[in-house]
Amino acid sequence: MSANSWLATGNFHTGYKQEQKTFASSLDRSIFILFLLILFVWPVLFPISSKYMLVVDNILVAIVAVIGLNLLLGFGGLISVGHAAFMGIGAYTVASFCRTLGDSHVIVTHCWPLLIILSGFTGAVFGAIVGLPAMRLKHLYLAIATLSFQIIFEWVINFMDFFNQGQTIYVGRVYWLTGKIGRSDHYVFWYYAILTIVVLLGIGVRNILKTRYGRSLVAVRDNDRAADAMGMNPGLTKVYAFALAGFFAGVAGALHAYLYRGVGFESFTLHYSVEYLAMAIVGGLGTLNGSFWGPAALKFLDIQVEHLAENIDHFMTGASNLATAFKPLSFGLVIVLFLMFEPRGIANWWRIAKSYTKLWPFRY
Amino acid sequence: MSYFFQLVVSGTVVGSIYALAALGLVLIYKSSRVASFAHGQLIAAGAFLTFFMTITVGMPIYIALAASMIISFFLAMSIERIFLRRLIGEPIITVIMVTIGLASILDGLIYMTPFGTENFSFPSFLPLDPISLGGGVSISWIQLVGFLFTMGLIAGFSWFFKKSTVGISMRAVSDDQFASMSVGISVPRVFGLAWATAGLTAAAAGCIIGNIMGLNFDSLKAFGITVFPVIILGGLDSILGAVVAGIITGLIQQFATGYLDGNFGLNGTQDVMPYVILLVILLFKPHGLFGTHEIERV
Repeated sequence: MSANSWLATGNFHTGYKQEQKTFASSLDRSIFILFLLILFVWPVLFPISSKYMLVVDNILVAIVAVIGLNLLLGFGGLISVGHAAFMGIGAYTVASFCRTLGDSHVIVTHCWPLLIILSGFTGAVFGAIVGLPAMRLKHLYLAIATLSFQIIFEWVINFMDFFNQGQTIYVGRVYWLTGKIGRSDHYVFWYYAILTIVVLLGIGVRNILKTRYGRSLVAVRDNDRAADAMGMNPGLTKVYAFALAGFFAGVAGALHAYLYRGVGFESFTLHYSVEYLAMAIVGGLGTLNGSFWGPAALKFLDIQVEHLAENIDHFMTGASNLATAFKPLSFGLVIVLFLMFEPRGIANWWRIAKSYTKLWPFRY
Repeated sequence: MSYFFQLVVSGTVVGSIYALAALGLVLIYKSSRVASFAHGQLIAAGAFLTFFMTITVGMPIYIALAASMIISFFLAMSIERIFLRRLIGEPIITVIMVTIGLASILDGLIYMTPFGTENFSFPSFLPLDPISLGGGVSISWIQLVGFLFTMGLIAGFSWFFKKSTVGISMRAVSDDQFASMSVGISVPRVFGLAWATAGLTAAAAGCIIGNIMGLNFDSLKAFGITVFPVIILGGLDSILGAVVAGIITGLIQQFATGYLDGNFGLNGTQDVMPYVILLVILLFKPHGLFGTHEIERV
């Protein structure tokens, strides 16, 4: 278990066990634990208003969704333009409980962890069904097949009375060990709940990627025929990747439903699917920490653009649609610039910074 | 029965516009293996340019249409030159995302103009009373002119690809890039031309749609998404496929509106039926109706 100080200069592993360790050294582990501690403690030390807490919660929900998308796209190489629809499946699982049992039924308010897991599994089932065409389709054909799923999902939600035709379906306030979570504690409570889920899922993905399932995912991405020749099952792997992504999206959708205390169809449109794709790409495809940078960066950008548009509105009257114009403009620019100049995403900056501090004062 | 034929007529008209819009995407895909998600924005830009030049500048509509087609030609060409030229050889998700980003940028630019949020309609320049085709079936003048114009353009492009030197070099590039380079075809120039032609057809399609259905940014933009089932159905790299699939999609939409809406408590089925049919067809023919099967080697 001793820290291998040579790792900075190359691969000096002598066994598979060593290579599979989550933390290369005990320093890495302490830094990680310290980082987690900071994440859990800061809302107590520096309380912020619930408006900003909502933004933080939003980022965390997006992180859950983007981890799933990154598994699918970054590690599996399968394009999905319907990720928001999978999220919608999760959210509408919660919503259908509210519709049938009433929005403050015990199952909705007390058993919410179970309901979130159930939403994840519903998402996984739908993911596997949508993933079935992936056994035969590739690249653009697959992208359009998932796009079809997104459009059909939107139509079904808008059409069915059971889902209130896309209007908001309310979700009741949840109970925790301390009792009902009131208005003032709502966002802080969900910060901790979602953060715990993010940590658990992050560790889960980290471990999946080390098993044969994770490795076969990467192998199928790189060349599915070669993987087939090596004895893997590309079709099954692809369906399984879709199911996994569906699970993450379903969990994220259920969290979204509880966080906003309501489910409406407008949070799960094609626009959001594209936004999750952008988050995954800006963060860095095929890296786990990229799934954390991407949502944070894009949501932060969103807020800044909103501020900017508001400020310009103060100086220039009559330019009221600047905010609607600036958002897509900046969003598109960020995607295009990242893809043209830093296709490996923010995760690459992180990697550069890490290797720089590791080797300092020596240059590589 | 006349109801059925009426639906066939309007479906064919709408379908021919889909075919025209799909033609551009198929061209881009054929030459450079890129699928553009920004096509709807190009369609909208073409329509708004035509409107701007007829109303604000005061040109006759035919000249305005020609001018907007030329402007879109260069707009699309510069998009290729600035953004996509340097992404040649990148993975497909990168290229798709760049076109999505471009769509977003164009969205932002259009939202800055009044066209982004308000509705406009072209002044009518043709007789308003519909032409009767007998048996209670009728077609409006604007639909007829739009249909004929579209068919003329498609026929012209088919000739262009079969016979002209540039068209032949475009087909050569889509067949084998290295071989066409070795006989002296400039591959980047062909990519640029493919985009430019796509811009030109998008402008024409946008103008016809705007004339038939009115100018609304969201509905024009939606054409750029609906055109995807069309090209996938036709098989991505077949011009004949684009035309056939375009008309099939138009007919499906009209039949869905005519027979499904309001019958089983359904509505808005025309937006979703092309995708349902697409999924069913992809299950049996993963390369669309006329697409070529790619042979992959490890």
